[in-house]
Order: sequence, then structure tokens, then C-alpha cells
Amino acid sequence: MNQHHEMECGIVISEIPSVKLKGVGDGFWVTITPESPEETIYKEIVELFERLKHLAINAKVVLDIGNAQGYDNLLNNIKLLLKSRFDVGNITEPPQKNFIHSEVNRQNIASINPYSSMIGKGWINDRSDALILAGRVRSGQKIETKGHLIIAGNVNPGAQLTAAGNIIVLGSLQGQVYAGYPDDEDAFVIALDFKTPNIQIGGIIHVELNSSLTGKTVFATVQDGKIILEDYLKLQPFGKIPWPTIM
Amino acid sequence: MEGKIIVVTSGKGGVGKTTATASIGAALALEGNRVAVIDMDIGLRNLDVVLGLENRIVFNIVDVVNKRCNLSQALIRDRRIENLFLVPASQSDNKDVLTPLGVQRVAKQLKSEFDYAIMDSPAGIEKGFENSVVAADEAIVVCTPDVSSIRDADRVIGLLYARSITPRLVVNRIMPEMVARGDMLSHEDVMDVLSIDLLGLVPMDNQVVISTNSGVPLVMQNQSLAGQAFRRIAKRINGESDLPIQIPTAMNTGIWSRIIQKLGLTK
Repeated sequence: MNQHHEMECGIVISEIPSVKLKGVGDGFWVTITPESPEETIYKEIVELFERLKHLAINAKVVLDIGNAQGYDNLLNNIKLLLKSRFDVGNITEPPQKNFIHSEVNRQNIASINPYSSMIGKGWINDRSDALILAGRVRSGQKIETKGHLIIAGNVNPGAQLTAAGNIIVLGSLQGQVYAGYPDDEDAFVIALDFKTPNIQIGGIIHVELNSSLTGKTVFATVQDGKIILEDYLKLQPFGKIPWPTIM
Repeated sequence: MEGKIIVVTSGKGGVGKTTATASIGAALALEGNRVAVIDMDIGLRNLDVVLGLENRIVFNIVDVVNKRCNLSQALIRDRRIENLFLVPASQSDNKDVLTPLGVQRVAKQLKSEFDYAIMDSPAGIEKGFENSVVAADEAIVVCTPDVSSIRDADRVIGLLYARSITPRLVVNRIMPEMVARGDMLSHEDVMDVLSIDLLGLVPMDNQVVISTNSGVPLVMQNQSLAGQAFRRIAKRINGESDLPIQIPTAMNTGIWSRIIQKLGLTK
């Protein structure tokens, strides 16, 4: 009702803010809906940049108005405003042609490959929480972690490994393993020598050992509500990921 | 020089801890050391029987720890082997009567009077085990080549490491014929799982039963293969660490097997 009334008055205030700001690398990407009233845009830009405080100084700024045309005046005013009031660094616009092209491309690839959005993103600043231990895990010893677990050594019968993430055993796995604790069925277990029938991923429990996999590196995942053990080197489950990706 | 406290333990019962304690203790004494063997299995004492000293018990380890007598009063001297002494367990108490502090105090005294004090730990990993390992400088883990014994030994090894004691392994009751047939785990299979220093391999030997029943220490019987194995283990403990490990082999003494061997027809 309220929205209706405003539309009648000729003012369009959408639910989505007319200015969005996000950090990219050493600068900021400002997405503007140029159809919004200029006053609203200026007001929101000022609010957002005031919040940044000293971070705005000398920062690189990209002004993105999408595919909209004919807003050069608006962009120039914003540039002046940002330079004079917030002392930002270089202000640019996203390369128009490439942008459209890559956007289309990205959508196409994304439908085929879910990892495509990660291509080109650095992993240097990211981290993956993994507990990496070397040595033999003996009977009665319990190892629990909130991240991934990597054991460089053997896991003896009667030992217990529990991880919220994935479990990788670089050795003989004869104890109990519980990956994806308590209910992450996307977790996996890899063991160089998989000798345990006692494996749990998420809520799924496996109790059978496939003798054809003896002496092979085994990759265990949940598929259709069951834990499936497969030959890791034959399957190459991560071979399809085109870019090294954080787990 | 201060002596050493060595605990003999296994986790699982019935694998030969008491036999190993008696044999290693007697063998170390035969090597010329002053040795005390201490039965820590309170309530289920056996070591006195194995050593044939059950008729001479007056005081026991519980009396010593709880200061009802001196250590010297509880020590029973073996009349056959010089320098071998036994501190028996109490048969009427339970494992809760000992405290780690009390055991440590007695262990200190034992160390000052003996070259080796060998503690025969009870089965299990509860209080009796705790009391046995509290003062130990070294540990001997005894296991037999079967999966249940190995799993328990593995657990005990973890607990010993947690107390900064590095255990050494004795694999007991190896039956070479069964190993050769593939019906029994070999000592290599055991070592694959436990991966600690090997102190010795002891073959299955009927003499053990005779020795236990007669109370004559195994190591005094020269024809006993297990006795010989324990004497080698004692030598390794006593500093001859480079004495090679002898792997028990199947004995083919029959006339036909000798002929087959001569003809080179063995598999």
C-alpha cells in the first residue's frame, strides 16, 4: 500500500538500495542504480563512504552502473564528490564490453562448472582450517577437530577420528572415522590404505568393506544416502576442478 | 648406582606377564644383578606360585606401602638363584588399597637397594595399572600374536607414551608352524601395528606349564626354548642391546623332513 502511494507521487523507492559498496582487492566496487533519484544516490554514497573513514583515502574506486547509458553527468558529479570529500584515489568505470562479455561467459560456465566463480581468485589470503598430525594414532586415542583432519601416519584399530570437515589419512586406516560431524554429508574421507569398515560421514554409517579396493587409495563420499567407496586414483574426484580451490 | 624400575604390562590378561616377569627377573639375577620382582596384582597374586615361593610369604607389598612392615621384611629370597627376591602381592585386599604416592616411596627404596626391580602389572588399565607404572623407568609390553592382544597392547603403549615411558615389546607364544601356514600373525604383522622397539620373540613352549606348576624358573631349564628366549631378553635389558633377535622357526626334526631338507625339496 505504501509503495503504491509513493509510485503515484512519481517517486520510485525500490526495496533494493540504489548504491551498493563492496571491497575488491585494494579498492572498492560501487554499484549504482542510475535510475534512482540523484539526491538519494549522493546521500547513500556519502553515508557509505563516511562509514569507511580513513579506508577511503587513496582507495581505488570502480563506479559500476551496469549496462545503463547516458549517465555521464551523474558519474562525473559522483567522481567530484568522492575526490573532494573523501580524498579517494583513482576512480574508474568497469570496462563495458569486456564486462558484458565476461558476464555472459561466466553465466554459461557457471551452469556447467560450479567452481567457475572461483577461477582467478587468489588463495594466498584465504585459509582452510585443517589439523595436520604426524604419527601413529593408537587404540583408545581420540582425535576431534572442528576443521579438516590430516593424519600423516597409520590409524590403528580402536582409534577414533572425528572431524567436522574432511579426513585424509596418509597411511593405513584401521580405526573408526567420522567425517562431516555431525551432519555434513558433503564431507569425504581419503585413506592410502583403507582397512576399516567403520566409517561415518554426516549421519550415514558404512559397515561393509569392499575387498576389490584392498591396497588402493580409497575415496569415500555420500551418494544417494549411502557411503560409496571408490578407487581414488581411478576416480580422480578433484581432477575436474579447473583451479586450485579452498576446501 | 641407582637401579631401574621396569614394569611388565600388556592390557589383556593371560598373555604371559607373570611368566615374563618371573623369567626375566630370574635371568637378570643369573647374569649377576640384584633383582627384586614385585607382584602388583593385588587380590590375584600369582608370581609367588610361578617362582615356587608361595609357602614363605609373611608380609606383602600392601604391608610395605602402608607401612605395616619394612621392605626388607617383605622380601623373600629365592634359595636357588642368588640375588633374586620377591615382594608378593596381598591376596585378601583389592587394587584400591595402594596409592601412587605410596608406591613411589617404595620404588625409591627398591631403586637404592636393587639393580632391577621388575613390577608385574595386573591386566587392565585401571588403578592397578596406574599404581604399577607410576614409578616405572622402563616398560615391557607383552603381547601374543592375536588381534585382541595387539589391540590391548596398542592401548597400553599409548598410555605409557602419555607418561613419557618408552615401552619395548615382547611377543610371546609364537607358534612358528602356524605362522608358516599363515594361521597366526607373524611378529612382523605385530610390529606393523605396534611399531615400538622389539625386545624379543618367545616361542610357545610346553615347558612353561611344567615350570609354572613346579615353581622352577623357566630360565633354569636349559632345554626350554622359551627359557632361552627370556635369557636373551634379559641380556638385551642388561645392556647387550645389539644381541640379534632370534626368530622362532618351525622344528623339522622328523626323519622324513630331514631327508626332504637334504634333497632340497622343501617348499
